[in-house]
Amino acid sequence: MAADVHNKAVPWETANGSLAPVERLRQDRCDSPTPGLVEGTEPGAGQDSHMFVHAQSFEDLTADGDDTRAEAAGSENTSRLGEPADEGAQGLPSEEEQVEEKESHPGSRAKEEDVTSEAWRRHRKHVFVLSEAGKPIYSRYGTEEALSSTMGVMMALVSFVEAEKNIIRSIHADGYKVVFLRKSPLVLVGVAQTLQSERDLSRELHYIYYQIISLLTLTQLNHIFQHKQNYDLRRLLAGSEHLTDNLLKLLDRDPGLLLSAVTCLPLSSSVRDVISSSLQAAKAKNLVFSILLAGSHLVTLVRKKDQYLHHMDLHLLFNLVGSSSSFREGEGWTPICLPKFNTAGFFHAHISYLEPGTDLCLILVSTDREDFFNLSDCKHRFLERLRRRTAYQALQEALKNPSYSVSQVGIPELRHFLYKSKSSGLYTSPEFPVPYQSEEEQERIMELYQYLHSRIHHPTRPLRFIYCCGESENLLAWVTSGFELYLCFSPLGTKALAVSAINKLLKWIRKEEDRLFILSPQTY
Amino acid sequence: MISPRMATGMQEKQYTPSLLNFFIYNPKFGPREGEEEKKILFYHPSDVEKNEKIRNVGLCEAIVQFTRTFCPSKPAKSLHTQKNRQFFFEPEENFWIVMVVRNPMVEKPNKEGKPPTIEYQEEEILDTVYGAVLQQCYSMYKLFNGTFARAMEAGGVELLTQKLEKFFYRYLQTLHLQSCDLLDVFGGISFFPLDKMTYLKIQSFVNRVEESLSLIKYTAFLYNDQLIWSGLEQDDMRILYKYLTTSLFPRHSEPELAGRDSPLRPEVAGNLLHYGRFLTGPSNLKDPEAKFRFPKIFVNTDDSYEELHLIVYKAMSAAVCFMISASEELGREFCEQLDGLVGPQLTLLASDICEQYNINRRVSGPDKEPQFKFIYFNHMNLAEKSTIHMRKTASVSLTSVHPDLMKILGDIHADFVRVDEDEEIIVKAMTDYWVVGKKSDQRELYVILNQKNANLIEVNEEVKRLCATQCIVTRHLNGYTQTLYLALIVSLLWNAII
Repeated sequence: MAADVHNKAVPWETANGSLAPVERLRQDRCDSPTPGLVEGTEPGAGQDSHMFVHAQSFEDLTADGDDTRAEAAGSENTSRLGEPADEGAQGLPSEEEQVEEKESHPGSRAKEEDVTSEAWRRHRKHVFVLSEAGKPIYSRYGTEEALSSTMGVMMALVSFVEAEKNIIRSIHADGYKVVFLRKSPLVLVGVAQTLQSERDLSRELHYIYYQIISLLTLTQLNHIFQHKQNYDLRRLLAGSEHLTDNLLKLLDRDPGLLLSAVTCLPLSSSVRDVISSSLQAAKAKNLVFSILLAGSHLVTLVRKKDQYLHHMDLHLLFNLVGSSSSFREGEGWTPICLPKFNTAGFFHAHISYLEPGTDLCLILVSTDREDFFNLSDCKHRFLERLRRRTAYQALQEALKNPSYSVSQVGIPELRHFLYKSKSSGLYTSPEFPVPYQSEEEQERIMELYQYLHSRIHHPTRPLRFIYCCGESENLLAWVTSGFELYLCFSPLGTKALAVSAINKLLKWIRKEEDRLFILSPQTY
Repeated sequence: MISPRMATGMQEKQYTPSLLNFFIYNPKFGPREGEEEKKILFYHPSDVEKNEKIRNVGLCEAIVQFTRTFCPSKPAKSLHTQKNRQFFFEPEENFWIVMVVRNPMVEKPNKEGKPPTIEYQEEEILDTVYGAVLQQCYSMYKLFNGTFARAMEAGGVELLTQKLEKFFYRYLQTLHLQSCDLLDVFGGISFFPLDKMTYLKIQSFVNRVEESLSLIKYTAFLYNDQLIWSGLEQDDMRILYKYLTTSLFPRHSEPELAGRDSPLRPEVAGNLLHYGRFLTGPSNLKDPEAKFRFPKIFVNTDDSYEELHLIVYKAMSAAVCFMISASEELGREFCEQLDGLVGPQLTLLASDICEQYNINRRVSGPDKEPQFKFIYFNHMNLAEKSTIHMRKTASVSLTSVHPDLMKILGDIHADFVRVDEDEEIIVKAMTDYWVVGKKSDQRELYVILNQKNANLIEVNEEVKRLCATQCIVTRHLNGYTQTLYLALIVSLLWNAII
């Protein structure tokens, strides 16, 4: 085996936490002249088992049977973990607990808009959620009351087409499209003027759907509507609109949600390892996931052995933390359903910032709803341990530069890029450079990436490679079995330059992979 | 106990996209409840139950109305559902044409007793392509019937429904939805490449005929199903060209291919001087029973609204369309005059062109299988050229590449439409074919390269080389406009001499 040079890739995928071969492997990885195109050998690929449910990026997100598949993925665990939510009456109080908490920060939703005005129509992306009885649940712009007749029409269209044993998908007009997603007992509708494909918009609606599930569980949602078909779900969701608002913003701006991947805080691997092992040491009986975040960057994630977190669930956690300021005020304790793990049960999350005024946020996810004090203790143990180490200083230092400039790569015409390692589910991307610093420009470049993504991942006509020369920028996307790469060049860049840039960039990422990725994830 | 024979019986069945419904309605015609049927002006298939017709029209109205919430001036153009796609088109105010196309599907047999599972392929139909097909339906109707509004003025709903019934009953049978592609979107015209001398000969021929037969308002000249000269507006010529090349010419090509003594061949006795004959109107001038009725067409419907007789006259591979105001009575005398004047000249001209064409072909050398195939379209003069399509016949257009590649071309075109700037898109398909789309200066070029191991730079070089040769085409077209100018001078001189 050792002599079989060509088979080097094999043991990596099966390597199971045994430390011995890692050093050698690391050597091999650096030596490989062109970074491996094979899954598991690309830059950023984890050396041990991966952190996330192995997701074929977004295909599994929009697949019809995704609910069942997600359940299958965690089925063995589901019975043991994840508190069953069908406790009927008992399920609801826990819900209200949560609502109360959310109500403390209603956010600044300027919803009072004239829904017949030109300004309302000009919004780039509308999202509506309604019940099967046609009752409004959520609208991104304008109040649900003002839009109740519009939503009534939406439901009428959905049921009219269903009466013919058919399913409505989308309506297309010049400059915008309307996409319908039927996820019983909810109906979601998106109206977008963006360049996004129908499937891409449908993916975003799935996110919104799972956001709502994460607050209620599907079991409870079904239970409610089975009892009372025209129930006004806003009563339960009141105060949580800002979560959906924020998630929609993330969908427009955060590449991670597009790529089905997470980005890490750049950190030397020795520092990260110390943090991970400190977190690993601070375990508790019912603790399933410990996640340390720095803003929207992952610092480290420690999980119970054999339990995997789906990137979508992680994004929902990110969104929960990112859209509420209350966690800054003290330790938060909230039930949350991680729908890709199990749509039926609640986890309980202990959420707190490590210190006042820092961006470091610790999320501890437990299966036990009475676990607050245990987890609070975990946090203190972790913090104590960490403070004694110099790594904590290094982490504080790293927080000052949560991102990096594209100029570090040394390709002048390269403006921005996204690189995703498929096997680890992690991606890296520099900060947006000068031409893309305004919100509008950021959303525009994200739209271009979304366009490339939807062409490359076309359900029946997928592509290996795409290169587009436009007047404002040149774009390139390349997908192999190991990675996905999206590049944005200045319009002056040539094709020859683009080709050489790919190699240069991949070499740079390989060189920096210790810092940019989590190569050795930990388990309890 | 499954024998191999039975196993083959269990195979999947693939169904191509097909026309489910085609209807035309005007929401203003039955505004009150209970009167909905009055909105419907045409419905295919006609044997659909009344309530279902009303329901389907109602859905379209609702969809259009619903989208006006988001953009009052740009209502829905298509509706995607699991089983089908519907295309909406409002060619004249409040008149809506709707085409419902069933998605292609695969029927997978199940174990005994169970009905087969049907899987709809929802991503296979391209909106741009079928949207264009729908618009073409209207343009073709308008070419032969004029606008809906004019029919309403002339004879009310009754006349309009009659006209619609008569036209679409036949026309819809000629729609071949499974073989529509990017060329339908362009609806372009293929021009016949020609040297200047021959071009001038044709030009002066057209002038001489128009001079002698002053009734003629417009003339169009084609050779080998490709256009050489047209006096019509571009948009009118585009749809007339479509009619000639996909309907009229194919219908008449068979007797020509038949031998001289074949009964299929029309009587040419006593006409030894030339090979000219009418494709519309009288099939045999010598026949005392001959009818002198020509199809009517409507052009310039936006302003002068002209109704014209369409005379198509052909000698060997050369075909000429003469268009004469419909108010003129055309009888035996006129036709004989035209036959006597045009027949011999056109026969000569046709053999001239043929000779010239063969010389040019010899110069450029025999065609060897190239490494690439391409489609070129120029929005300014509607010129199109495709080396992907074999000859288009009435029933099918044969392409020489995989349908998925054709759809990728369509996808790239759709990307070009969204952004109003010059762009280039290069993609590598899963089958390792390279596809390049280039849009610049109102021109679009699509290339499929069969060099699987090539890299981006090599592909770029290959396309550059191709563009250089395509430049000859472009230059030829520039030469064409130059020739037009020369031709104008020549014709002025000619008129002066006479």
